[in-house]
Amino acid sequence: MPQQPKDVSRRQFLQGVAFAAASITGLSACSDTEEAVTQATSRATGAAAPSATAAPSATAAATATATGTPAAGGGAPFKLGLMIPQSGTYASLGSDMQQGFQLYLDQNGGMLGGREVEVVAAETEANPEVGLRAARRLIEEEQVAVATGIVSSAVALGVKDIFGEAGTPLIISNAGADMVNLDPTLPNLFRTSFTNRQPNFALGQWAAGEFGGMAVAGIAPDYAAGQEHLQGFIDGFGSEVVTELFPPFGTTSDYQPFLTEIQQSGAEVVFAFFAGGEAITFVQQYTDFGLAGNLPLIGPGFLTDDGILEQQGQSAVGVRTALHYSPLLDNQVNADFDAAYRDAYGSSATTYAMQSYDAAQLIDLSLTDGDVDTSDSAAFSEALAGVGTIPSPRGEFSLDPETHDPIQQIYLREVQEVDGGLGNVVVEDLGEFEPLPQA
Amino acid sequence: MEVIGDFFDANAISILNGVARGLLLFTMAVGLSLIFGLMDVLNLVHGAVFLLGAYIGFSLAPSGSSTLAFVLALGVALVAGIVLGGGLAATVRPLRGRGHLDQALLTLGLAFVLSDVISIIWGDDFRSLAPPPVLGGSVTVFGNAYPLYRLAVIVVGLVIAAAVYYAFERTDLGAVVRAAVSDRAMVSALGINTNVVLIGVFATGSALAAFGGLVGAPVLGVRPGLDWDVLILALIVVVVGGLGSIPGAFLGALLIGQVQALGVALFPDIAPFLLFGAMAAILLIRPQGLFGDVTAR
Repeated sequence: MPQQPKDVSRRQFLQGVAFAAASITGLSACSDTEEAVTQATSRATGAAAPSATAAPSATAAATATATGTPAAGGGAPFKLGLMIPQSGTYASLGSDMQQGFQLYLDQNGGMLGGREVEVVAAETEANPEVGLRAARRLIEEEQVAVATGIVSSAVALGVKDIFGEAGTPLIISNAGADMVNLDPTLPNLFRTSFTNRQPNFALGQWAAGEFGGMAVAGIAPDYAAGQEHLQGFIDGFGSEVVTELFPPFGTTSDYQPFLTEIQQSGAEVVFAFFAGGEAITFVQQYTDFGLAGNLPLIGPGFLTDDGILEQQGQSAVGVRTALHYSPLLDNQVNADFDAAYRDAYGSSATTYAMQSYDAAQLIDLSLTDGDVDTSDSAAFSEALAGVGTIPSPRGEFSLDPETHDPIQQIYLREVQEVDGGLGNVVVEDLGEFEPLPQA
Repeated sequence: MEVIGDFFDANAISILNGVARGLLLFTMAVGLSLIFGLMDVLNLVHGAVFLLGAYIGFSLAPSGSSTLAFVLALGVALVAGIVLGGGLAATVRPLRGRGHLDQALLTLGLAFVLSDVISIIWGDDFRSLAPPPVLGGSVTVFGNAYPLYRLAVIVVGLVIAAAVYYAFERTDLGAVVRAAVSDRAMVSALGINTNVVLIGVFATGSALAAFGGLVGAPVLGVRPGLDWDVLILALIVVVVGGLGSIPGAFLGALLIGQVQALGVALFPDIAPFLLFGAMAAILLIRPQGLFGDVTAR
C-alpha cells in the first residue's frame, strides 16, 4: 500500500473521530440535560419536568386491587415505599434520606402510629423513567399504603400522575420544584421539604433591607430550577438585578468569564444559586478571582450545603445563605435529632436526612388515631392532611391546607468555622413563609 | 489603537485564563498527537489517564495538605502514567497493522474500563483540589485579582512545551524516534529496538497526560466525565494543530484555550458552537491542520 493514501486516510479518520465526538456531544446535550439537571440539583432542587403519562388502565386496576384487599383497621401493619436513588451521583443524598427515615423508625421501635411498617426501597436514580417504574412497582406489585422520598423534581413531576390516579399518598421529602402540587392539586400529594421559591424569596426580602439600593447581580445555571431560584430572589428583593447570568448547566467548569462580567457590571452584591459540584467550583473561583471580600455572596442554602462545605473549604467562609434548616439550628428537637443521628451514623445530620425524618414523623402523627385504615388511600391522605403542626428539627412547621407544601421558618445562615470544621451557623430567623410567597 | 486597548483592558483576564487552559490542554494533546502522529495509534485512553492523574492528586494531596505532598503526588502521577502508557503500548501492539478502527475500538473499550475503575474507586461525586499552599491565593494582574496557581500553570505549561520540543527536535533520542517513524526497518537495522521506542513514546505521552490531569485538577476540578470532555478538546487540538507536530499541538491548544475563554466572555450565546466552528474553519482552509505536513507523509 502506498504511503500517501494511507496517511491521508489516517488524517481523515482522526477528523472523522473528532467530528463524530463533536456531534455526539451535541446530540447528547439534549438527553444529558435531564441527567445533568439532577446532577447539579444533586443537592436538591428542582428542574425540568419530563411528562410521564401513567397507563390509566394499569393504575386503575392497581387501585381496584389495592382497595379490594381486606380492610385493615387500626394497628394493622402496612407497607411503605421508599423512593430514593441508591446508586449514581445522588447515592449519597439517597443514603442521607434513607438514614433519616430509618432513624425515626428505630426511635419508635420500627413502628409508625403504633403499627408495624414494612419498608420497600425502590431505586429512582434521578431519572423520571426509572422513577416511574419504581412508582408502578410500589403501587401495583407491592401495593404500598404510602410512599416517600424522591430527590429530583423531574422524578417528582414524572410520578405525580400515577400517584394521582392510584390515590396512594406520596410524601415528597426533597424535590423542590415550585409547581409540583399545582395544576392539578392532588389531595394525596405531600411535601416535607421546601419549594425552590421559599428560601430565595425570604433571602430577597432580607437582602432588600441589608443591601437596599445596592446593585445586585444574579447568577444561576440555565435550567428550570436555576430560573425558579433567581426569580424567587428577585420577587422577594422587589427590584431588578443589574445583571442576570445563566451559565450553561453541567458543562461549565470555569466561571471566570461570568465572574469577570459580574465585576464589570458594577454589582455590589452577588446572588448565586448552584448545587453539588458546580457549587464547589463556583464558590472556590469566587474567591480565586478576588470577588470574595469585595462583593458579598448570598444564595439559597444549597450553595453551601453541609455535604459540600468541606470540599469548598475556606473559600466558603462568610457566604450567607437562606434555608429552612441547618444542622446547627439551636432548638431542643434538633439537638436531640442531631445527637441521635451522630450516634447512629457517625456524622452530622443533613437537611436531606431531616426532611425524610419528618416524612416518617408526618406518617406517625397521622396514624395516632388508631382508627385510620392505611389501606384506604383517601382516608390515609385525609389523616395526613389533618396532622397540623409537626415538631420538626427545623422548628415547628405545618402543611399548606391546599397544596400540602410546608409553611415554615426560613433561616439566614453564615458559613463560619465551627469546632475546627465549617458549618452553616444560623444568624437570623427570617420568619415564616408560605410555600409560594408573593410580594 | 484605543479600541484595541479597551478590548484588552476588558478581556485581559479572559485572555490570560485562555492561555492557562490552553497550556493545560497542551499537556494532554501533545501526547495524543505524538502517539497518533508518530506511532499511528489513536489512543482514546488518554482522557482517562488525565483523569487518573487528577484523582491521584485528590487522594495523595487533598485540599489542605502541604506543598511537598502535592509535589510527591505529581511524582506518583508521572510514574502511574509511565506504567499505564507502557502497558497500553504492549496492549495495542498485537493490533498493529489492523487498521485504525480496530485500534480505536480497543482503546475506546480500555478507556471505558479505566473510567469505570476510577468511578468504582473514587465514586461519582464531584471533587475539588486546592492548589499547594505555596501557590494559593491571588495576585493582581492588569488591575484584577488572578489566582496565583493559574499563573504557575502557565509557567509549568511553557516549560513542558519547551522541554518536549527540545527532546524531540534537538536530541539524539528525539532523532531516533523521528527516524523510527520514517523508516522503522532502517532504524532496526542500525541495532535500535524500535519496540522500546514505541513503548517510550507511549509512556511519555501518558505520563504527560497524568501530570497534566493533576496540575489541572485545581482549575478543572476532579469529576467523572472530565476524561471525555478533555479528550474531545484534545482531539480538536490535534486536528487543528496537525498530527505529530509539537508546535502544532502547542498553537492548537492555545487557540482552543482562547476560543473557550474569550468565546464565552464575548459571545456567550454561541460559545458552545465556537469550538467546533473554529475546527471546521481551520479544516476548510488547511485540511492538514496548522502544522500538518502532507508531503512528508
